[in-house]
Amino acid sequence: MDAREVLGIPLNAGEEEIRAAYVQKVKEHPPDRSPEQFEKIRDAYETLRDPRRRMRDMLLSADPEASLTSLVLGEANQRRFTGPQPWLDVLKKGGGPLP
Amino acid sequence: MSQPLSNPFNASETSIRQLIANGKTKPALESAKEVHKMHGTRASEELLIDAYTARIQALNEQNLKLEAKSLLDLVRSRFPSAQARIEALTSPARGLEILVAPLADPDLPAERRAAIEQRLEREGGDLAELAGCAALPADHPLRQAAAALLKAFVAVTTGPVGEDELALPEVSRRSPLAPWKLLVRAIGHFYRKEDSRARECLDAIPAGSAPARLIPSLRAMLGDPLSAPLAPAAARLVSLTTGDSLPLRHALEKLDHALESDADDKQVLQAAKAAVRECGLHAPYRLERLKQHISVRCAMADIDQDRVIATIGGLRQEAYFYRLFARGMELTHDPEDLTMACGLWEEFRQQAVKEGWFSFNGAEAATLYLHIASILGRLPDGLLDELHQSIRAKKRQAGELPYFLFPQMLYERACTLDPHFEAFAQWMEWAKGQKGGEAAQVAETWHAIRPDDIDPILYLMGDASDRNLFPTALKYLARAERIDGVHPAVRRARLQLLAGSAVKYIQQKKPHLAEERLAEMAGLPQSQQGDRPAFLAALRYLASTLRGDVQTTAAHRAETERLLGTKVGAALLIFGVATAAKRGAFESLEPPGKLDKSERAALPAAVARVVALAADMNAMKLQIPWSYIAETARQLPRNSQSLDTSQLQYLAQAGVCSTHAELGYAATAAGLERGGPTGARFLLLRAKLLPEGHEDRRAVCAAAAAELGRQQRDMQLLEEAVELTRGRFGPQALTLTLEQAAEVLRKEKAAKRLPKYPGQGPSYRNLLPRMCPCPTCRAQRGELVEDPYDEFEDDEFEDGFDVEGLDELEFEDMVDEFPLPPGVPAEFARVLFEETKKGALRGESLDDLQARLFGFLMGGGKGRKGRRK
Repeated sequence: MDAREVLGIPLNAGEEEIRAAYVQKVKEHPPDRSPEQFEKIRDAYETLRDPRRRMRDMLLSADPEASLTSLVLGEANQRRFTGPQPWLDVLKKGGGPLP
Repeated sequence: MSQPLSNPFNASETSIRQLIANGKTKPALESAKEVHKMHGTRASEELLIDAYTARIQALNEQNLKLEAKSLLDLVRSRFPSAQARIEALTSPARGLEILVAPLADPDLPAERRAAIEQRLEREGGDLAELAGCAALPADHPLRQAAAALLKAFVAVTTGPVGEDELALPEVSRRSPLAPWKLLVRAIGHFYRKEDSRARECLDAIPAGSAPARLIPSLRAMLGDPLSAPLAPAAARLVSLTTGDSLPLRHALEKLDHALESDADDKQVLQAAKAAVRECGLHAPYRLERLKQHISVRCAMADIDQDRVIATIGGLRQEAYFYRLFARGMELTHDPEDLTMACGLWEEFRQQAVKEGWFSFNGAEAATLYLHIASILGRLPDGLLDELHQSIRAKKRQAGELPYFLFPQMLYERACTLDPHFEAFAQWMEWAKGQKGGEAAQVAETWHAIRPDDIDPILYLMGDASDRNLFPTALKYLARAERIDGVHPAVRRARLQLLAGSAVKYIQQKKPHLAEERLAEMAGLPQSQQGDRPAFLAALRYLASTLRGDVQTTAAHRAETERLLGTKVGAALLIFGVATAAKRGAFESLEPPGKLDKSERAALPAAVARVVALAADMNAMKLQIPWSYIAETARQLPRNSQSLDTSQLQYLAQAGVCSTHAELGYAATAAGLERGGPTGARFLLLRAKLLPEGHEDRRAVCAAAAAELGRQQRDMQLLEEAVELTRGRFGPQALTLTLEQAAEVLRKEKAAKRLPKYPGQGPSYRNLLPRMCPCPTCRAQRGELVEDPYDEFEDDEFEDGFDVEGLDELEFEDMVDEFPLPPGVPAEFARVLFEETKKGALRGESLDDLQARLFGFLMGGGKGRKGRRK
């Protein structure tokens, strides 16, 4: 997974922002409670804390052949909080066929 | 509360309620009717109504709506006073209470408890009802779990939550509400953009559980493909959450498909226009990104950019766009696009600095310069030089040169901004491939800026040694020894440099200085290893010859012969060292034909030892007379058993270096015969010495050596072998599986004789990729492609000539009808036609065909200049 995605930071995040995101993520996923997630966070931080590795990652992670559907509707999509009601409506009325 | 079971009504009631709880509503109703008929009390009526209610609910659950309604109407008409109670009893909340009520009993049988919990997991769709369910005590774990889940559910759908809020310790993994816990976590991870974790949670939710109804919606939000359309409520949820909409999804999918299927430009542009329109309506916050990606995808598909930009309604050219565009051009691998990528990375750098992504003078900018330089390194040989000439021809001032097309400038900038080891190492690697002492200059710069790095010192030492500047080389060695005395190259270098220096003094007729060096060499412990004492003795022999000291000279010669155990070996070594010192007159070798039989038989071993010493003394360029090489090749097949595999490798290497294919081939044949792990090395050596006309076999041998080397983790072998396979079949190196490599090894082992003409030897047609002969594919492989018909009159091929399409009979007819010159046998013509057909299918030129077929007979003469392929 993309290191910036793991830490939840934008492409142009500087060192301070990266550090702050790392600290926040470690608080959320301490190594004793979620060791796998912590490892991912640590690896991402190791990649991004070094300016050379950070730059290489930035250069090579661009995916010009990415599917446009997933670009707009997929992972990078905006995620708006709606409150519980629309979710409960689906639970009551059904969400369609199971995948 | 419970009454003694001795009361018959109580006993019946307990039994009936148990039946209801067990879901056996039909017998429960039958029994309740009997009891009410028997007792006719208010209590028995209540029991009967409860039984009716349970039955009505059961029918509803079985989707027997009509039956349920008929029964309900019947109850209403028979028990009008209980109508309100019936309505209440048949409401969902009451249904839930009835369902979970038995769970309050700690003595409930496990089987019954499991059945209720299963139904709860499947049907419990309302956490609020369960949290407030009066049928269970307030402190019941189920109510507490439902309350905690409800709180967490509201929290995750309303705003950001921390990891603590997703922990939900109130809900155990065995709880019937555990799927809810997974759902809450999936939603939480989704909003935190931890998509892989969200998917893990969704995967774990049981398919039949109540929370599973939200799985399709969440999958759609995560961008996963769906097997069927979403229900309206689910589609609304997805739209509210992500801005996704069906028209937008369809438009994007259509555009993706158009781009992937190489649809014509018009179709792509139409799809792009529709996607941009829908995105503007439904997800305007992603519109700019979409436009940037469309523009790059279209550029990669060679669609005119002006038309694209006009279609999508303009484009913001920011750092993100240039990064994407540059990367896109890199990935096409087309030389022109690679050059363009360098310019685009420069645009990216400028824009990114403006947008504050990084500073113009930091390590990030330096890394970018190195990246651009690496792209230039991927351009085909000669193209960059042509580009530079064309740029310089425009007489630009130095400052105006597009630095991003000049590796030297890029490396200079990178190393100035961020002078670290890797940057200099990359610069050095590039400089080694340049002419005019570029590498030495880079090493000097590197050494000046990072004096503690050993690599530039070793390079400068080697460079000085190559130029016979041994005092300078020894100075560098002293520096290297101070930094890392145990470095293998450093440990080897002193002996080699002293030997080189001694040879040079012999060349300069300064025997006293040569002897000083020899004394220094003798003092080194490593000079006593292997055949090195013989090498030292040979040098002493030359120094004393220079001095004219006959007695000492004879003693040193005898010592050399004693140490090598062979006169001919000593003679070869002394000849080699004397030639290196330009004192060839000191040693004259008699023709090998005059050697006695035993000496001739000992030649392979002697040559192997001298070659090994030459390799060991890197500074030496020892020569072995051609006649001795030829005799060694003759002797080797008969005397190879006395040699070890390392000696055979040296002989094969000697064959490669001297271009004496017979010697090399005989050595590899003997080496392959031995089997074992050295087989890979012998395969590589064989690949190197196969004569012209065997390029395919050479590539296959090298590819097999690479695969075997990979298995043995011999990185040096792997690198050499891969390099040899590259280019023959396009930009990618030819690769084989381990089984194929083993097959090649077996075939090569069986091929003991050097092929005399093209086509002789093992066939590897089944291992070779099918190479398309069309001009486009040939150009992509870096072959020179020109119009194949430009030398012919148009009408010569008016009807076309499809050699591939010829069937057997047509072919036979054509051969029979062909007017053969007198004396040429028909079979010869047949072979000629066959080969011509194959050549034409491969895209071979007439010159190449002629060289391949007749080169070995005609001395490989070249065609006239300007002959086109």
